[in-house]
Amino acid sequence: MKSLLRTFLAAALTLSVASGAFAAAASSKLVVAFLPKSKGNAYFISCKAGAEKAAKELGVELLFDGPTDSNAAKQNEIVENWITLGVDVIAVAAENKEGISTALRKAQRAGIKVVTYDADAMPDARSFFVNQATPEGIGHALMDDAARLLNGEGDFAMIVATLTAANQREWQKHIEARLKEKYPKMKLVAVRPCDDLKDKAQSEATAMMSANPNLKLIMAICSPGVPGAAEAVKQAGKTGKVKVIGLGLPNENRRYVHEGVTDTVILWNTGDLGYLTIHAGVALAKGDLKPGAKSFKAGSLGSFAVQGDNILLGKPFAFNKGNIDQFNF
Amino acid sequence: MSRYFRELSVVGALAVALIAMAVFAPAFFQPQPLLSLATREAPTLVVACGMALVIICRQIDISVGSMFSVVSVCTGILAARGWPLLLVLPIAAGLGAALGALNGALVAGLRLPSIVVTLATMVALRQGLNLVRQGEFVNMPDTVQWFGLPQATGQWVLVICALALLAALGLGLRHLAAGRFVYAVGTDAEAARLAGIRPQLVTFGVFVFIGALTGLAAMMNIVQSPQVQPLSGMGLELKVIAAVVVGGVAISGGRGNLWGAFAGLLLLACVAPALTHLRIEAYWEKAIQGAIILLAVVADGLRERRQA
Amino acid sequence: MLLLYVLIAEWLFFYFAGTTVNRRGVTVGFGTLDRQFDILRHSCEIGLLALALTPVIITAGIDLSVGSLLGLCAILFGKFWHDGGLPIPIAATLALGCGALGGALNAALITALRLPPLIVTLGTYSLFRGLAEAITRGSVTYTNFPEGFLFIGQERWLGLPAQAWLFFAVAIGVWVLVHRMTFGRSFRAIGFSPEGARYAGLPVDRHIALAYILAGLIAALAAIIYTARLGQAKADAGTGYELFAITAVVLGGTSIFGGRGSVTGTLLGVAAIAVLKSGLASLPVVMRMNAAEEMSGVLTGALLLLALTAGVLPRLWSQRRARHAAVPKTLPTS
Repeated sequence: MKSLLRTFLAAALTLSVASGAFAAAASSKLVVAFLPKSKGNAYFISCKAGAEKAAKELGVELLFDGPTDSNAAKQNEIVENWITLGVDVIAVAAENKEGISTALRKAQRAGIKVVTYDADAMPDARSFFVNQATPEGIGHALMDDAARLLNGEGDFAMIVATLTAANQREWQKHIEARLKEKYPKMKLVAVRPCDDLKDKAQSEATAMMSANPNLKLIMAICSPGVPGAAEAVKQAGKTGKVKVIGLGLPNENRRYVHEGVTDTVILWNTGDLGYLTIHAGVALAKGDLKPGAKSFKAGSLGSFAVQGDNILLGKPFAFNKGNIDQFNF
Repeated sequence: MSRYFRELSVVGALAVALIAMAVFAPAFFQPQPLLSLATREAPTLVVACGMALVIICRQIDISVGSMFSVVSVCTGILAARGWPLLLVLPIAAGLGAALGALNGALVAGLRLPSIVVTLATMVALRQGLNLVRQGEFVNMPDTVQWFGLPQATGQWVLVICALALLAALGLGLRHLAAGRFVYAVGTDAEAARLAGIRPQLVTFGVFVFIGALTGLAAMMNIVQSPQVQPLSGMGLELKVIAAVVVGGVAISGGRGNLWGAFAGLLLLACVAPALTHLRIEAYWEKAIQGAIILLAVVADGLRERRQA
Repeated sequence: MLLLYVLIAEWLFFYFAGTTVNRRGVTVGFGTLDRQFDILRHSCEIGLLALALTPVIITAGIDLSVGSLLGLCAILFGKFWHDGGLPIPIAATLALGCGALGGALNAALITALRLPPLIVTLGTYSLFRGLAEAITRGSVTYTNFPEGFLFIGQERWLGLPAQAWLFFAVAIGVWVLVHRMTFGRSFRAIGFSPEGARYAGLPVDRHIALAYILAGLIAALAAIIYTARLGQAKADAGTGYELFAITAVVLGGTSIFGGRGSVTGTLLGVAAIAVLKSGLASLPVVMRMNAAEEMSGVLTGALLLLALTAGVLPRLWSQRRARHAAVPKTLPTS
């Protein structure tokens, strides 16, 4: 037993010495931490590409980490890790508004600048929100596009990520409100979750089509859902008869848009969103961006309007057959 | 009759469910959507066959979902690089078998409990895949989908392959010596050993087998769509274990057959589309699936009590 | 015991490799006291579930439903408080009762019908999560809990994170139950051989039922702490926690076949996983790879396999030696 202990202590000491090699010298750069809702999601990977570009231009160090599934508790743990790491700026896409805010307030108390992007936290828990499009804007854009394709009449169905995702509920609420208010002849016949799985979205869309023979359109509001629904429509031989629209990335949907299965994919430029977020965070840390600013200049992208404490990225963009090949993300 | 009572009762429940659907939602029975449903479930059936074997052998494998994802992504990348599918197919099965062999070696060679071993490989494989791929989709050329066949033909090929595999394995399990060995080991490993069977070898074999079947299933899945999502196969383990158990395979080993597992899978696979057709809100889906599993095991328990 | 060494080595490694001084001259990273408290806070819920599972696994059972039960209890707690208008303590008591009830459902199916725990709790795993989703229709999130309640999850009390005291209290309680009471002895007896325990006159069913009900109760307590830490109750609370909890228990040396196990081992297992996760997140190399979460998953899996292998190898070797030793002795007589 004693010899085991001795070996062990020797090993631990060697390890400790060796670990010095791992330890980085104190970084002289500003450190910006960038938290996505879930890091495997192609949407956030494309945000990260823009963030990296901005970090390189500004000469700051970028940390990118997040839950592998959308998980509010893990987001808090990561932010709290960053606080003890003493980063300078934290940029967050909040999975859950109230949940993350407790951790963000703690970060602010520790002197860390906080900005949010994609999905906001409570206003007192961050300095600025980089707003890519309001839930209302997204809801209206999707619903209006659906109405345009169906001439304001007919049955449609929705595919959502999970039944518990906060942003999905928010969008769905605005879609339903818009439907009630402007398109009385359209009817939402089903809402099904796909758990962010493309294969499940496909199965759900197949069942929806056979259960609702009058279905004219499927709207998928999570990014794996759009190609899933498109594949189902294509396999059912209903291309053109059942239209597909949704929120998604050009690369995942390109082939379906070209085949005429998917009509429109709505999204903002996610790379720009990441780029703008990093610029805003760094400007905030350097004192170049202060509360009350009316506009903000972000590197090569030029100037953005600031409304209250929201930095506006601009309107959502509709990708269709005509323009989708100009985008690669 | 009484020997197959359990399997027949599942078939009965399935029949009742289908008749109910015929009455309340006849639209459920349209050839094209049903073929699509069958095609979507074909890979699951293949994995369920393997799981039935493993459970009959009194083991369990909860790493199938992660293995499925890893094989899907690897073979998807090969296919995207233009490797011929005839070459990719054995690679898929081989890779699956190799992963299964790892589980098998730990369980049979070191006599570690299978639930813990496969729990560890499940987490390690899933996170390893995330680490390497960061969730990125694999886009494949059009020639991969349906093996380059027309869609309907491709769908039939997949469904028939899955059914043929089921039939072959089902009959093999019943009539081949190797099949009986699995029952023998699952019933009483020590008695099997005294009877001249090598229980560790059989156990190792079923793990390699479920790995190979999972690889095959992954291949059957990636030819259904032009893209591979690294998350595909998430939760597959629970789905197939539930199907196998509902189908009357006893978790305590040595009892059950593939036909029952097949019926169990059909029953569970119908839940989600049936809810859509009956216009029941999706919130109830998980609760209903849980209730079906509990109902099946409660029925088992009550029956055994009456016999005892 | 080996695990304790692993834990110390792990901790020392991260202490030296994961602590740095930042631009402003402040010590940051793994070595700070704040981080150590964070590790404690973040592991309370999974730690509680692991404690809940320890007696269950010692009786050769398993409970896959604890994570889902956590979600269901969190929702019910929020509902009692928000929709029912009940004061927090009463809502919490009711939620604890519901947790015990959920555990009792498992217990009833397992003992009265003699069903395998793996399958029963696989069913309730779906059922409890499904009920949580059905009750909230997926959308309702309960928030705006009073400050006094959030204190449990977010503030410090007597120098430590407040929930740590609850966690320690439960740990001591379970330790006494398993190691200092006849219950614990009977858990082990049941785990070794339920038939033997029955012939020895132990009320086997009642004791197994107790283990599952206790697991439900502790899962409900974890739900309350989870709600207080995040300030919200939502149907997806605790998804996947059961796997981490089982990993911690097994890592801690409790045999999945039952009959053997210790509460201190479980605590060490929880600590080993939590330190690994948090430590990796402060290594500069790992941070640059953006891979803390995935890497801790891979390493936890590897660690689990390693611990298991280390546990069985001596036994396998001694068996082999015994077999070889037996051969020459028998030869001359034959």
